[in-house]
Amino acid sequence: MKNDSQKATQVKLARGVRYRWDGVREQHQLLYPEGLLVLNDTGAAIAQLCDGRSADEIKRTLANSFSDRQVENDIDDFLERLAQRGLVRHDNDP
Amino acid sequence: MTTIPRPLALLAELTYRCPLQCPFCSNPLELARYRDELDTSVWQRVLGEASELGVAQVHFSGGEPLVRRDLVELVRTARERDLYSNLSTGATTATPEKLSQLRSAGLDALQISLPDSDSAANDWLTGAPSFKQKRAAVAAAHDLDFPITLNVVLHRYNLDRLDEIIRLATDWRVDRLELAHTQYTGWAFRNRARLLPTRAQVDRAEEVVAAAELKLAGRLQILHVLPDYFQEFPKACLNGWGSTFLTVAPDGAVLPCQTAREIPQLSFPTVHNKSLEQIWFDDPVFQRFRGCDWMPEPCRSCERREQDFGGCRCQAYLMTGDPAVTDPVCQLSPEHELVEQALSDAAEARDELAFRVIPASPLAR
Repeated sequence: MKNDSQKATQVKLARGVRYRWDGVREQHQLLYPEGLLVLNDTGAAIAQLCDGRSADEIKRTLANSFSDRQVENDIDDFLERLAQRGLVRHDNDP
Repeated sequence: MTTIPRPLALLAELTYRCPLQCPFCSNPLELARYRDELDTSVWQRVLGEASELGVAQVHFSGGEPLVRRDLVELVRTARERDLYSNLSTGATTATPEKLSQLRSAGLDALQISLPDSDSAANDWLTGAPSFKQKRAAVAAAHDLDFPITLNVVLHRYNLDRLDEIIRLATDWRVDRLELAHTQYTGWAFRNRARLLPTRAQVDRAEEVVAAAELKLAGRLQILHVLPDYFQEFPKACLNGWGSTFLTVAPDGAVLPCQTAREIPQLSFPTVHNKSLEQIWFDDPVFQRFRGCDWMPEPCRSCERREQDFGGCRCQAYLMTGDPAVTDPVCQLSPEHELVEQALSDAAEARDELAFRVIPASPLAR
């Protein structure tokens, strides 16, 4: 059920959440008010696609970069974890 | 010795000037001693040095940072230096025009202080009419799609209104509500006996917050900073001295934490003589309480030493006169009775609140 609704909706970084490459530490970061989450390469690729497209579109886009079949589940898990922390929102509005 | 981590966050205290007089302010008591403020170009250099040092977030704070006429310019520099920027403000002068300029310059997030959900109590605590202005600023910030954190400092006078405070935060549709019990340093330490709540108030507040967190999950994020005087163990102050945070004070002093000047045994470098990088890695004051080597017992052999880092150095000094002892709020501290004493003194306190004032405050620049 949850996956169905995610497919239909737009996935966006929540207000004030911003992706950043930290050149000093050479790491991907997701910054938000009063905090920071360090991302791996896959997480960073997903986060940078949370711009209003659907979870399915994110998967299709990343299918080319990551051949691994596991990636589809990883994307769902990752988006779910970000949503729990209030860092992405699933939006029905245009 | 393990490698020294690079700092993630810079607290840029642009000024100690403020139109409000909150008695729980953590600014130093001798505000007039620090009236010389860094100019725009020095702050711009500092922001660049911070970025090169590995800082990811800058918190523009004060005092009231909006009294600085160059705030928009400094926010723009932070964005150019790829820093995530937060503004902590009382918001009484946060007009829609000013907020819009800040948004365009790249400000990422707003933290607005609100002493109380009751407008009369709020205005009494700030020493000036401010509730209406704060409400208007939140509305204007919404129009600009700013993420908003409402920051409410908790103490005896507002703790019983916590339900109302949480309701207001949802009515005002803020993203986050920070419910931070007063940290007893600066003006707040001076007013400690009048600000400390009772244990019954604190217990009830925890229930109210727990219920609200369940009910509002997904709608309002609540950050509850617990009152350390009532806890078993101290807070992990700064995530460890010289590990994550640094502060640049209005006059350019570089501090491991914004209240470190409370500790007279320490002297601080300034941005005038050295780079932030040199200061962070080499200055004795940043080394002084870094890691665990400085710790006395009972911290030294404690299994929690890397969880709470011995607690707050300023608090240790303010209560015992020695900044290098275990934070007395820890129940294992040999001086824990000082905390119990403060709580019982507070129950009988009769003296007046001292509102934060700057004697002969300098002209706005």
